[in-house]
Amino acid sequence: MNNIQSNAARILQNNKAEILDQWHQQLILNTKSLVESIGLNVMKQRTEEFLDTLIDALTQDDDFEGDSYDNARNLMTDISRQMTLSSLTPSEVTLFVFSLRDIIFPLFQTNMDAGQLAAHYSLVNSLIDRLGVFTFTVYQESREELMREQQQAFMEVSVPVVRIWDRIIMIPLVGMLDSSRTQQMMETMLTALEDYQSKVAIMDISGIPVVDTLVARHLITAASAARLMGAECIITGIRARISQTLVQLGVDLSGFITRTTLADGLQLALKMTDQKIG
Amino acid sequence: MKGPSSKDSLDISVANYEDVILARQKARELMQSMGFSLLAQTRMVTAVSELARNMVVHAGRGQMSVNSVEKLNQKGIECIFQDKGPGIQNIDQALRQGFSTSNSLGLGLGGAKKLCAEFDIQTTVGKGTRVTIREWKTR
Repeated sequence: MNNIQSNAARILQNNKAEILDQWHQQLILNTKSLVESIGLNVMKQRTEEFLDTLIDALTQDDDFEGDSYDNARNLMTDISRQMTLSSLTPSEVTLFVFSLRDIIFPLFQTNMDAGQLAAHYSLVNSLIDRLGVFTFTVYQESREELMREQQQAFMEVSVPVVRIWDRIIMIPLVGMLDSSRTQQMMETMLTALEDYQSKVAIMDISGIPVVDTLVARHLITAASAARLMGAECIITGIRARISQTLVQLGVDLSGFITRTTLADGLQLALKMTDQKIG
Repeated sequence: MKGPSSKDSLDISVANYEDVILARQKARELMQSMGFSLLAQTRMVTAVSELARNMVVHAGRGQMSVNSVEKLNQKGIECIFQDKGPGIQNIDQALRQGFSTSNSLGLGLGGAKKLCAEFDIQTTVGKGTRVTIREWKTR
């Protein structure tokens, strides 16, 4: 095994310039979009780094999961991330790695006798396969990271508090009200109550598709917290079907002021704060 | 208990709160396509929400299947929630208003029972729980 690895490494090292040259040509021919999006110079730099790492990895007697392949994996991570950022598809990134195989194999053929060939093929084959598959893992990871970031960004905009009139704030609730969003909603609402010296908070649940016991519990918690600060909560957007469902569920909202429409809620809020529009 | 014959069937594995949303959407979609009233949809979907979340909270994960069913001349929807969780020690207590082992309102399971036309629960402590709910289209 060791013998084959070092032999393969030697052949690659001796023909480095030729391999790179052919690889570049192949990449320019077959994966045009890749070369276009990362640029010719970056591509040349990347291919050279990659080949160096591959040779380096081959000279170590270790398998792909081992420590000596850390460099190879790190470089692969780096390359796939960069390419993903340039909005290349994972297939294109994988092709970048796989295309090297077509160049190495003919080289082996001219440099050794048939008896040795099979072992060398399978070694380089499995190595390149693993590196190629690895790019997919990296691609997926970077996508998931992006998704987490977007989720975070979405969380921040998802609970706006609007000051609609003097001493009246409104919180339009949309989508799913889970624990972390409720926590955020409460914080924003309570801070706004303090900042604007508001006396009434209108929570509009028109945009919540399913009002179940969890949503109800969150609403009750938020309304109770507001009440502790001397403010009243008006829950608006309770439509006929939601009202019936809540009663059947046994949710008791009788301690809270509720209205069907936001307009009704606003009217009531104005009355509670002794104000008139116009 | 032998259920009515089923036609379409859809299985969803429920392991987190996002899956609960998906479960709700699938139930709603089927009810919409069958022409259930908005009120019936809301009731059933709310029950689905409670039962699917119960699986996540108490059993960690579970399976929900949504089926369209028929009996005599009536069409209906059936949702089966099956988990391999700890089971329920005392069903009567669990169905009672305000009883909860998880710091919730304690209305979900009992509420789900009241929300749909048919409700069946089978549970074995240490083995898991199976809840079947059905709603029939009135005509």
